[in-house]
Amino acid sequence: MTRRYLILQDGSIYPGEAFGAPATTFGEIFFHTAMTGYQEIMTNPIYHNQIVVFTMPTIGVAGINHRADEAIGPMVKGVVVRSLAEVSTNRLKSMSLHEFLKRYNVPGIAQIDTRALTRHLRETGTQKASIVDVPDEHAFDQLQALVLSNQQIQQTSTPRAYVNPGRGANVVVLDFGLKNGILRKLNDYDANVTVLPFSTSIDELANLDPDGIILSSGPGNPNDVPADILELIKHFQTQVPLFGIGLGHELFALANGIQLVPMQTEHHGMNHPIREQITNQILYATQAQGYQIDATSLKDKNMIVTYVDLTDGAIQGIRHRDYPAFSVQFFPDASPGPIEASQPFEDFMELVEDRRKGDLS
Amino acid sequence: MAKEIVDAMAMQRALTRITYEIIEKNKGIANLVIVGIKTRGVYIGQHIANRLQQLENVDIPVGELDISAYRDDQGEPLAAVTKQKLDINIDGKRVILVDDVLYTGRTIRAAMDALMDNGRPAVVNLAVLVDRGHRELPIRADFVGKNIPTSSSERIQVNVKEVDGFDSVEIQ
Repeated sequence: MTRRYLILQDGSIYPGEAFGAPATTFGEIFFHTAMTGYQEIMTNPIYHNQIVVFTMPTIGVAGINHRADEAIGPMVKGVVVRSLAEVSTNRLKSMSLHEFLKRYNVPGIAQIDTRALTRHLRETGTQKASIVDVPDEHAFDQLQALVLSNQQIQQTSTPRAYVNPGRGANVVVLDFGLKNGILRKLNDYDANVTVLPFSTSIDELANLDPDGIILSSGPGNPNDVPADILELIKHFQTQVPLFGIGLGHELFALANGIQLVPMQTEHHGMNHPIREQITNQILYATQAQGYQIDATSLKDKNMIVTYVDLTDGAIQGIRHRDYPAFSVQFFPDASPGPIEASQPFEDFMELVEDRRKGDLS
Repeated sequence: MAKEIVDAMAMQRALTRITYEIIEKNKGIANLVIVGIKTRGVYIGQHIANRLQQLENVDIPVGELDISAYRDDQGEPLAAVTKQKLDINIDGKRVILVDDVLYTGRTIRAAMDALMDNGRPAVVNLAVLVDRGHRELPIRADFVGKNIPTSSSERIQVNVKEVDGFDSVEIQ
């Protein structure tokens, strides 16, 4: 095994063993606490250009199975693990994690003390990191010089509209860095789906006569998003059922005058209990969240809080008082994650069907 | 043979949905009262009130409406049943009338007569858990949990935990 190094912006050096591609890589580092779903996490566009640390000690036992892809190929710039599984016995796999990363020129590093690294990252917050052959001054200089992009949506959203045909309701998905799980879920309802780029105008969307609109999840800082999108949300939330997920939830909040603030400790995992306020029931869901709704800014708004994270009290879902428009911060598409979290999809499709039948005015 | 067509989980979701729709349609819950038609309508109304309490931290009064004296299908003797007064004030309120099953509409007609004898509400909306069709009067529900198309020879039974020990909707 080739020795390589993970270096952090603050000067820390973690020696480890190389796997995947031998490339040198840079990106923002974060840790993910999920016990399953490494492939979905690596291919989720929300982690575009980032370096992921898995706290689950052994990664790779399920190999790579294309049905679990959330995009074509990995979105992350690097993968950090404690121990890389050398054997995978999953009958659905088409290759190993090592081969997959090699194919897409993404480096990995194993034999890292991910527990220590995670503790360190919890204290310092996310920072820039690099996987390199030699941790010398030059490597650190390059890392310091790295400028993180604020054009994440532009880089991950589809450049042009496409259709995922079905025989059911006419659903439009606005792509802010869409993951496949959302489309897979809509397939379950045989929805006729049109995916539109983030830059779609109000007229272009209205021409499609949607029965419902989904604001997709996606990467980056919600405050960097072009203001036109917020105008579009404001316009359509009064007209058709609207459902925001992840970044889509954050944009739905912004469009309604609610503030978003960066989180002290980001949520990347599926181990937080979330309470549905109306029924007082607990569910678990995959979370990927660096920003949260500022609760004080929500007080005088026309919104109901629908879901709350019980670990730190972060708001996980809101719903408009006057319109059938709502959003959740967590991932309801259950890829990866518990299917109990997929209820919001059912709620949304019910609203969509009501509108189609004319029950919703 | 009874066959379960809505399980406890789906029943809870339907009530959740009705609750959100009530908030949406009434633009909030100011001045709202719930009136449940005895027996199961009262418990369903209570479930909706609990949900509003969870969400908005507001206690919505729930009244119990006994409509026996107002029925048109019970013959002579029952007409003598004393008309019961509602235990809540409905004057000028936005009333959500709640029942388990909407069928011919005759129960709701009777309930409206009973309501009017108790005061003058600002608005009356109707919420039902199940709408099974076959209306004999010009009545429709504002909030429907489940639309279940039935034949008139079938029977729909709504079970609620408080009375029957479990939540479900069955067809016989």
